[in-house]
Amino acid sequence: MKKIAVLLASVLLLAGCAPAQQVEISDAWIKSGEMSVQGGMTAVYGTITNKTNNDIVFTGGQTAIAGLVEVHEMAMIDGQMKMQQIEGGLTIPAGQTAVLEPGGNHLMLMQLTGDVLAGDSVSVEFIFEGADSVTLDDVIAKPAEGGDEEYHSEEMEMSN
Amino acid sequence: MVTRRGFLGSGAAAAASGLVGVAGGSAAATVITNQNQETFAAKRELSFRGNHQMGIEADLQAVTNFVSLDIKPETDRASMLRFMSLITDDIERLASGQPVLADPAPELAIGAARFSAYVGFGPSLFRKLGLESLQPEGFAELPKFKVDRLQPEFSGGDVLIHIAADDPIVLAHGTRGLVRDSMPFATVRFVQSGFAHTPGMVPAGITHRNLMGQVDGTANPKLGTEDFNQVVWIDSGPSWIQGGTLLAFRRIAMQLDTWDQLGTTSKEEVIGRKLSNGAPLTGEKESDTPDLAARHPNGLTVIPDFAHIRRAAPGAEGERIFRRPFSYDAGISKSGSVDVGLLWTAYNRNLETQFIPIQRRLDELDLLNSWTVPIGSAEFAIAGGPGPGEVIAEGLFS
Repeated sequence: MKKIAVLLASVLLLAGCAPAQQVEISDAWIKSGEMSVQGGMTAVYGTITNKTNNDIVFTGGQTAIAGLVEVHEMAMIDGQMKMQQIEGGLTIPAGQTAVLEPGGNHLMLMQLTGDVLAGDSVSVEFIFEGADSVTLDDVIAKPAEGGDEEYHSEEMEMSN
Repeated sequence: MVTRRGFLGSGAAAAASGLVGVAGGSAAATVITNQNQETFAAKRELSFRGNHQMGIEADLQAVTNFVSLDIKPETDRASMLRFMSLITDDIERLASGQPVLADPAPELAIGAARFSAYVGFGPSLFRKLGLESLQPEGFAELPKFKVDRLQPEFSGGDVLIHIAADDPIVLAHGTRGLVRDSMPFATVRFVQSGFAHTPGMVPAGITHRNLMGQVDGTANPKLGTEDFNQVVWIDSGPSWIQGGTLLAFRRIAMQLDTWDQLGTTSKEEVIGRKLSNGAPLTGEKESDTPDLAARHPNGLTVIPDFAHIRRAAPGAEGERIFRRPFSYDAGISKSGSVDVGLLWTAYNRNLETQFIPIQRRLDELDLLNSWTVPIGSAEFAIAGGPGPGEVIAEGLFS
């Protein structure tokens, strides 16, 4: 299975402590589709494992390809399942794993600065409270639809 | 949503076997044996990364799909590189029994089952992308042969993804993933499905039988030998093709209605081998070298002039190929005629000096031509294998 590069080393050296790895992110991918064009939106998925002894909170992210990045959940809104920002972020208890997947929680990228094409590799930083951030340099863009996703974002003014 | 999902598989298995070890005794041993049998096909993996792409220097798997694709007009070298990035990641995961990323049905990734897939490129791709200067030596569209009755729906293509596994569900699921990730870049030209024996039917390394009943592939170079390297793997030319090979793909229909009217002796003379064990008519076992000079007391050659193995024998040094033929079964007509044959493959370093001279001799005279008709044909240059962190054929499209 493909190993994802986790760029924690420099941060840990500066901090002067050496926990092997606080957060492990595997199987990350970004969706490429009709909406992943300049000015549009897409999402990042993957598996986040909290290897610390404390609860951590996945609060957001950063990437050069998006102007706005939020942690989203799927919620029942007006009788329909829709996506919306998770207030305060996604808590991942000590030792547990959170799965970001179509139709569930995901890292939402909005205000895309360019097209995300199938097969592109994108650098994405995952930001946490209670753990150092993690940057993946090779998040691959997969052509994918599905997950019954309908976006609900006040910023995008797409709610019904 | 937070879940304690998966990733405990190997740890749990190790813990379980540890418990069995503590329990000891023959009952535990029986449990282990049964588990091994149940997971025998699922757990077997072929290696993905290395000098060569996977699925060529390997014993035949049970089932296969040859997927031929034509690139879309807007697909350029940069998009081919993105295409190959996706396919490389997919094959690596499937070969270890994992679902591909973004798999809509990850529950179908139930085991590697010797899954393999490799990628090759047709002469038309080099023309479309202006890559003629990187085309390997001895690689071009095959010449027309007299015996050919080629149908376009079984022939050609810009890109080949040849997929195989020991389990039909694993094959179908893997094929679906690879085709899904091809669709931003290409359309499907053909999918040709075939099969060989189920694992365990014949010992590894033993030649398979085709649907005419013949053992097929006897004179092949042996896997893992220097002889195999010399026949198959390219070691010069553009860097992307080093460690790769050239494939001649032929869909060969069998005329079983008339073949079945022949008696055993006639069938054996057509081939030059015994049906029972594949031994040459001049020998006792399959591995015996045919004595093409041997004659009956009446002066006729024991292996007839028209016999397949005589015509296919090398006419010059180096005229050898590696065959990896799967069978196909495309149904039965109302009158009971079976539509069967071979998805025949020849792997070699150079089509002009290896496959083509052999095929020309068979084209001129081979009694087997009366019952075997090539109805599909294609040729692909198969890139070398991806090293650690590399994308398949990145040297061609970078």
